Amino acid sequence: MMIEKTIALQKTLTDETFFLNMGPQHPATHGVLRLLLKLDGEYVRGCEPVIGYGHRGHEHMAQNRTYLQFMPNPSRMDYLSGLLYNDAYCRAVERMVGIQVPARAEYIRIICCELNRISSHLLWFGSYLMDLGGFTPFLYAFDDREDILSILGEATGSRLTYSYCCFGGVSRDLNDLFLQKLKAFIPKMRGRLKDYNTLVTKNIIFIKRTRGIGVITSDQARDYGLTGPNLRAGGMAYDMRKNEPYGFYPQFDFEIPVQPEGDCLARYQVRLEEISQSLRIIEQALQRLPDGSICAEKVPQYITPEPGDYHFSYESARGQVGIYIVSDGSRIPYRMKWRTPSFSNLSILPVLLPGTLVADTIAILGSLDVVIPEIDR
Amino acid sequence: MFCGVSNDTAKKRPGKDRLPKIMHPKESIQSLLSSHFGEAPIRPADEPFKGFHLRLDLQKERIPELAQLLHKAGGTLEYVTAVDRSDHLELIYVFGAYGEPVRIRANVRVPKGQAIPSISRIFPGADWHEREVFDFFGQIFTGHPDLKRILLPEDADYHPLLKDFKAPIRLNGNKGPIRA
Repeated sequence: MMIEKTIALQKTLTDETFFLNMGPQHPATHGVLRLLLKLDGEYVRGCEPVIGYGHRGHEHMAQNRTYLQFMPNPSRMDYLSGLLYNDAYCRAVERMVGIQVPARAEYIRIICCELNRISSHLLWFGSYLMDLGGFTPFLYAFDDREDILSILGEATGSRLTYSYCCFGGVSRDLNDLFLQKLKAFIPKMRGRLKDYNTLVTKNIIFIKRTRGIGVITSDQARDYGLTGPNLRAGGMAYDMRKNEPYGFYPQFDFEIPVQPEGDCLARYQVRLEEISQSLRIIEQALQRLPDGSICAEKVPQYITPEPGDYHFSYESARGQVGIYIVSDGSRIPYRMKWRTPSFSNLSILPVLLPGTLVADTIAILGSLDVVIPEIDR
Repeated sequence: MFCGVSNDTAKKRPGKDRLPKIMHPKESIQSLLSSHFGEAPIRPADEPFKGFHLRLDLQKERIPELAQLLHKAGGTLEYVTAVDRSDHLELIYVFGAYGEPVRIRANVRVPKGQAIPSISRIFPGADWHEREVFDFFGQIFTGHPDLKRILLPEDADYHPLLKDFKAPIRLNGNKGPIRA
């Protein structure tokens, strides 16, 4: 009521608006994103995201090198879920040329990718709550994320920009320390999720900052091609792992968390629930982890797909990654297009912001969980 | 019926009007497209590993019609991109759906330098995708609300994904770009 009165009052009093640059250097934009905000006092009247500060030309790089030489690039697009991008690229190429991945490698990939998904959601959880003014959850989340990074480090040898998967499998086997650390991590993370729920989810300040804020209706989501948790928080259970399954995902028992409300709180709930679903997948994979080889035996030295165009969809931590590759039969891709989920997810922002407060801008932008290097490519 | 929505959520949902529209299954969308674009060859992708369920070659004037049709049927736009085929540009529109996987690839040949109608009024999400194609390939979209560069610097005078573009090479001691 108060707010509506104020808006009405402001309309009668003044029509003065001004522009404010939020970013490119702003802690809440999580990277170099510039929002050109048209403000009327504390109220946002319009918004234009300016992107491209981190453009590195990955698509151009792709058409200047062989498929194998492009391997390190995908994990640099989305550095928070780099392993998922690495896996997506490998699967796309494997499907193009028909390489069969051994069962053990599939399981290892699923374990590591789900771990990476959790770490990505944890980073989002911590930084989102810091955006909203709570510093403590950030420290908790980074503590847990550090565990995951150290576990993944045992297997992959790197912390963020992984090139662990290779065409036909994974580059090295899991060691005992990895399994030991992982087995200790799963119950710890379950306990931590309970802590998060008591610390944050039921916190009245948090709920007031997020409930009913930045509502995305299912029609809007469809118009803008939203995917990932942002879409699922609007009531649509659309997940590539279920809708267009790849790898061994159909063999696992897990659910796709869905919330009907479509606001910031719903997006938060979906991501938190996804962490526990990922833990379920990891547990099942650990139980069934088969022995055997970790890489296909006959992987050609140079990948030379049949001429034509290929598409592969993959569920990253932020939504649907689409890899579109045009091959002319040579060792070098003729064209490689990356459809990154954050690009579409951010494009809805100019619709969400008008009419909200500047403080809600931070809450809405943060809840979309965009990674800027992934948008800029 | 609502194949994209689990039953639990459908119960929790406040009102029926908020139920998302899910695209028709593959067969019905195929017959819908055949009836509209009868003369254009629609072939179910014989190789499922290629990732597209339906392929469609179109005249460039008919792209808004296709977008309208798929928007009405409850589809979504996944991305718009282009491929430089040296004498012409090949524009690729990829439509999807939030239900049963139906991925439709529409293919449009555009001679270089010619414009193509924008679909950003039908799918607002196409706005950025079309700007990206303009940025990388120099393709003009008529009717686009604000066609300007999106990822490259505003003052760039090149379109880097055209095949005749040579990337600037910086060697030791050689500052500044070299254009071939």
